[in-house]
Amino acid sequence: MSEQYEVEFIERGDREATFLVRGVTPAFANGVRRAMLADVPTLSIDEVRVVENSSVMFDEQIGLRLGLVPLTTPRDEFSEGETVTLALDVEGPGTAYSGDLVSSDDLVSPAEENVPIIDLKEGQRLEIEADAVMDTGKEHAKHQGGVAVGYRHLQRIEVVGDNEAFEQDDPRIVRGVIEAEGELVPAESFGNDLTNRYEGKEVEVHDVPNAFVFDVETDGSMSVDDLVLAAVDSIGDRADELAAAVQL
Amino acid sequence: MDLRVITNERTELEIEIAGEDHTFMNVLKSALLETDGVVAATYDMNPEQSGGQTEPILSIKTEEGTAPLDALEVAADEVQEQSDAFHSAFEAAA
Amino acid sequence: MTYKCSRCKRDVSLDEYGGVRCPYCGHRVLLKERSRDIKTVPVE
Repeated sequence: MSEQYEVEFIERGDREATFLVRGVTPAFANGVRRAMLADVPTLSIDEVRVVENSSVMFDEQIGLRLGLVPLTTPRDEFSEGETVTLALDVEGPGTAYSGDLVSSDDLVSPAEENVPIIDLKEGQRLEIEADAVMDTGKEHAKHQGGVAVGYRHLQRIEVVGDNEAFEQDDPRIVRGVIEAEGELVPAESFGNDLTNRYEGKEVEVHDVPNAFVFDVETDGSMSVDDLVLAAVDSIGDRADELAAAVQL
Repeated sequence: MDLRVITNERTELEIEIAGEDHTFMNVLKSALLETDGVVAATYDMNPEQSGGQTEPILSIKTEEGTAPLDALEVAADEVQEQSDAFHSAFEAAA
Repeated sequence: MTYKCSRCKRDVSLDEYGGVRCPYCGHRVLLKERSRDIKTVPVE
């Protein structure tokens, strides 16, 4: 019953990628999107032990900021609920950055070195120890691995004829990726306006069934590949569990 | 994932699937609708206001000769296959 | 219990007879210092 799946990358980076999936049902595409946001666990600071905080902010405010620092979460190394300890000790004058966090585990470090935590004046000091815990975005947004995840239909462009002479070309705006003459073209490449690409032509735009262009951006805690695969597997695992439970 | 059967008749099944939300239920529902012998399939995620029920309840109606639990198993396997297919297709492209 | 005089900034320890008053400068406003204990804060 399932159609042949096919994945093609349009843009591919470590933290940001655009790819086309063919053969996927709308429900499954949405399931993967939701799983990327809410069901793939990442490490995030969840408890802070304040040794000294003579900064101008409350411990709780500092804690919240530390919680929002993305931490690299290697795939398959940690299970939900596991913790990693980090420490930070910065004395003013100067700024405490996320990069000042020292991890007890070589696999785990701040994904971004330059997130300011707080500006410290002369004589102020921030010394903390923190536990990062593995949890899902469902629990708290700081655990979200995917920060900008979405998809839209692939659109096929068909030239059906010529416009009449001297006819005014109204802009014809499309977004995402189009399929034209058998090629995948990002709409940005022609300013999102089909009249730029097909001057004087009459065109028709159709959604391609079961073909979705995903746009995925992660917070740096894992690569796009890891995030997508973990999301897909999380749905597969649940189906597994259900099938096993039903058989009893 | 905790299952609790509410009604289980020859061609009708109501089952609570605790711990799941739209992410999985909608995928499962759409797979059920594509399964042979299934007449109707839906799920209900009651809001908390409606008497405290928050876990999704899956309802399946099947044609005569198809046990709804069997249909559910087929659909679960189908979702699993879709997931495996997506996984390998993605890895092949990556 | 240690306090700090808000005028002369010296450490002051209060006893039950002296009342609330800095023994060095007589100022009546004393600030309580943060405890040196490690405080555990849950991140929410």
